[in-house]
Amino acid sequence: MAERKSPTAVLHEGPRALSDQQVRDIEGAELKEVLDVDIDDVIEYVHKGLKSLPDYTTLYRKYLKQRWDVYDLDFTQDKIDWNEKMTEAERNSFLAIASGFHHGERQVEIELPVFMIGAGEEEKLHIAAQVEDEARHTVFFDRFYREVVGLQGDDIMDILDASFPWVAETFVGPFGLLAYQADEVRKNPYDERARVRYGTTYFLWIEGVLALSVMKVTLSYARWRGFLPAYYTGFTATCRDESRHVQGGMKYLQDAVRKDPTMTREIHETLRTILTLAGVASREVIYEPLGWTQDEVRMLMFQQLGRKLNDVGIRLPPDLQAMVGSVQPVLAGG
Amino acid sequence: MSEPEFFGPDWAAAVRDALAAGPSEQARAGKLAMYWDFFEQVKAGYAASWALWCRDLPAGPAALYIQWGGGTVTDCRVTRSGDTGLGDTGLGDTGLGDTGPADQPAATYVLGMDYAGWQALHDGYDPQRTVMYRKILVEEGNILEFFKTIYFFTECLGVIGGVPAAFPALAVH
Repeated sequence: MAERKSPTAVLHEGPRALSDQQVRDIEGAELKEVLDVDIDDVIEYVHKGLKSLPDYTTLYRKYLKQRWDVYDLDFTQDKIDWNEKMTEAERNSFLAIASGFHHGERQVEIELPVFMIGAGEEEKLHIAAQVEDEARHTVFFDRFYREVVGLQGDDIMDILDASFPWVAETFVGPFGLLAYQADEVRKNPYDERARVRYGTTYFLWIEGVLALSVMKVTLSYARWRGFLPAYYTGFTATCRDESRHVQGGMKYLQDAVRKDPTMTREIHETLRTILTLAGVASREVIYEPLGWTQDEVRMLMFQQLGRKLNDVGIRLPPDLQAMVGSVQPVLAGG
Repeated sequence: MSEPEFFGPDWAAAVRDALAAGPSEQARAGKLAMYWDFFEQVKAGYAASWALWCRDLPAGPAALYIQWGGGTVTDCRVTRSGDTGLGDTGLGDTGLGDTGPADQPAATYVLGMDYAGWQALHDGYDPQRTVMYRKILVEEGNILEFFKTIYFFTECLGVIGGVPAAFPALAVH
């Protein structure tokens, strides 16, 4: 993997147009070909799908074609890059960001099944596929932390325990909220208002804003420096999986609001809680070793939030707009 | 001096004092000032109450009732299920809504955690994961409102877990 453009170049370039051929290349790339796919193109691909949201059966069929084997990845070169080429500052920054994902993937994996109960039949197929995706992403990070970072443990929870010290205290905001909202849905699986609140936290905020923003930071670094090829391959494939999740989630929210416009209130109230928490940081993360600044990460998050809301036709009232301005970068996703 | 019995009156008094004092300097050291500013801002204006239940306590179900007001804890005590007639089925099963223990006003938030979860918290298990892994759950109360102050709650949970306590052994059935 050659050294390429700077990680933040796309921030200044603005949204890009993808040709039909580029879309076909992203959708059809085998795992070993994903190394050559530009992460900025994959993130753009997420939004291209939001313009005309695909139905759940189409998303399920895409899943069947895009599913990849996490055990096909070979982390040998990554381990060399990690130990011999990356600086300590780069490793520390990388872990401060990646650890939120390590735990985030586990969280979204276990919180999703209850959402299936009240879903339509075609949506159930899509959610079942998404649960499997999230499980695979959990294994991806488990392998990365064992084989590259060098954490040791007998099982997945041992490795989660070992990486938890890198997770910021504010992680409990969105992910604790999701856990409690999942419990709310578990108790009343057909309560559409509870489902919309849950969907706002999971699909719009965690996947649509946090995940896509944070993915870009570590992946653009790896691509820029030409490091960590298996991480780049697996996590870019993860991003392609997330495109289906975000598209399915935005379709769910869009349909819910179209069917009952008062559901917009549930979205706003959920965002009001999330944005209250997102205005606070507990740790300072140094992004510069990865080619980013805090303001650039914040800008990235604004772009992601704005595009999701625009694409699905949800507007924020003035007080929420004002809260968006004080959002602190949260280094997590799922 | 022996440690106060977990969910006993002396333990509740120690919890009250610890919460009023707030997290230790050691706990504060690793986190940004912005985070603690938020904590203090919430604490100063917080007027809600928590009923923190332990259903499988060896002595029978009990709740730690905590009322906040004026920037401190205004009431902190343990009540037994015998006070409420709830038996050991759990408040969430009774259909009593957000009714708190009978001898005090209803709690704004009713939460529950089993004995093993309380012990783990006391032994140093992380309060964040105690929430995220649903070891403690909101049984009654508005979740979106509760989470607006979740950083305050998790720090307080850590403070409660740090209060010395003697844990009686569970009976073997």
